[in-house]
Amino acid sequence: MNVLSCSINTLNGLYDISGVEVGQHFYWKIGGFQVHGQVLITSWVVIAILLGSATLALRNPQTIPTGGQNFFEYVLEFIRDVSKTQIGEEYGPWVPFIGTMFLFIFVSNWSGALLPWKIIQLPHGELAAPTNDINTTVALALLTSVAYFYAGLTKKGLGYFGKYIQPTPILLPINILEDFTKPLSLSFRLFGNILADELVVVVLVSLVPSVVPIPVMFLGLFTSGIQALIFATLAAAYIGESMEGHH
Amino acid sequence: MANMIMASSKTLITSPPTPKSKHQPLPQPSVSLPLPLPLIKPRFSLSITPKSLAAAALVAASVAATPLPSLAVEIEKAQLFDFDLTLPIIAAEFLFLMFALDKVYYSPLGNFMDGRDAEIKEKLSSVKDTSSEVKQLEEQAAAVMRAARAEISAALNQMKKETATEVDAKLAEGRKKVEAELQEALAGLEKSKDDTIKSLDSQIAALSQEIVNKVLPVQ
Repeated sequence: MNVLSCSINTLNGLYDISGVEVGQHFYWKIGGFQVHGQVLITSWVVIAILLGSATLALRNPQTIPTGGQNFFEYVLEFIRDVSKTQIGEEYGPWVPFIGTMFLFIFVSNWSGALLPWKIIQLPHGELAAPTNDINTTVALALLTSVAYFYAGLTKKGLGYFGKYIQPTPILLPINILEDFTKPLSLSFRLFGNILADELVVVVLVSLVPSVVPIPVMFLGLFTSGIQALIFATLAAAYIGESMEGHH
Repeated sequence: MANMIMASSKTLITSPPTPKSKHQPLPQPSVSLPLPLPLIKPRFSLSITPKSLAAAALVAASVAATPLPSLAVEIEKAQLFDFDLTLPIIAAEFLFLMFALDKVYYSPLGNFMDGRDAEIKEKLSSVKDTSSEVKQLEEQAAAVMRAARAEISAALNQMKKETATEVDAKLAEGRKKVEAELQEALAGLEKSKDDTIKSLDSQIAALSQEIVNKVLPVQ
């Protein structure tokens, strides 16, 4: 018994050192419902960063862009390019959706890696990237589902549902299943990647608190960017897929 | 996966704030887990004997070490995958961000960039137009130059012709004058020759008379 409790104590100590607080939330109560306070706080910060920098950089656009305006023009070109490649010529109305998807996820992921959230102590749980929480990723994935249904229905009316029995009615169950797997894979891909990133970094820092975790941190930054791009590209691809003709 | 479970199971061990939890790790989770608990747990929370403690520790160790599927799902549902009002709030925040960014970023900057593109294209095409105009003007200039050149050469030719006739006339006149003078001079020369010959004849007669007088004895 001594041995066992001892091992649990050492385990305990390890957890305390590493300070991994996964699945712990800073709960707020709103009208009898629980919300994850830390997710909302960080998402507000992300939104403030995005809106603030955009407003600041674009308050007086110049014909020959410099500095911030140049950067935002480049980002807009990039978003337009992604939307155009995936959706096609009618990409115009979807630029805000795809762009916000990309920017929100990207800034969220990077904020988790770059902003020193740990300085702010919460009573319970800890501040981290908003995409670290399954609620965020599922919300974004469900919005994507709504978006591609909306795109298909406005483009083709009820004829949109004809795609479920194409090319043959035998594929009906699989086609219906696809509508569930799309948001599921979207949300879990993002959630898993970001959570795994933070876990790997935290565990490595707890084990070797010197230069060793730095390459992993850079890898985390890279992965975060890639995940944002993948999410936005896939959302655009789904929208484009539901808008294209099945003739 | 094992990471997550270990991390999630951490709450089983550390989340209670009392220091007592270090020694009695398992009885607490009934607080943090939702209602449908696995059957084993209430039993632990009720029993306090050292034996059951050992058993609890054993279970805890096994939970931490091996992924027991049913238990793992139960714990993760409680910790990692608890959906609540955060989800719709985030969705609403996203929609707000989308409209706000559209207002301050996508639409204004997009319109600005499109306008600039159109302006540049327009300027380029207008430059192309003026280049054709320039070509026309150049042709005109070349034509003017040609005409001027032709005019000048014509005037030059005419002037040349005029001077040539004038010079010819003067030349002929001069030649005539010179010829007349020559004729005159020749006539004067002839006349003086005749005079000389005439005077010579008279002298010859006188001289021959004298010679005769000298040669022939006087009678």
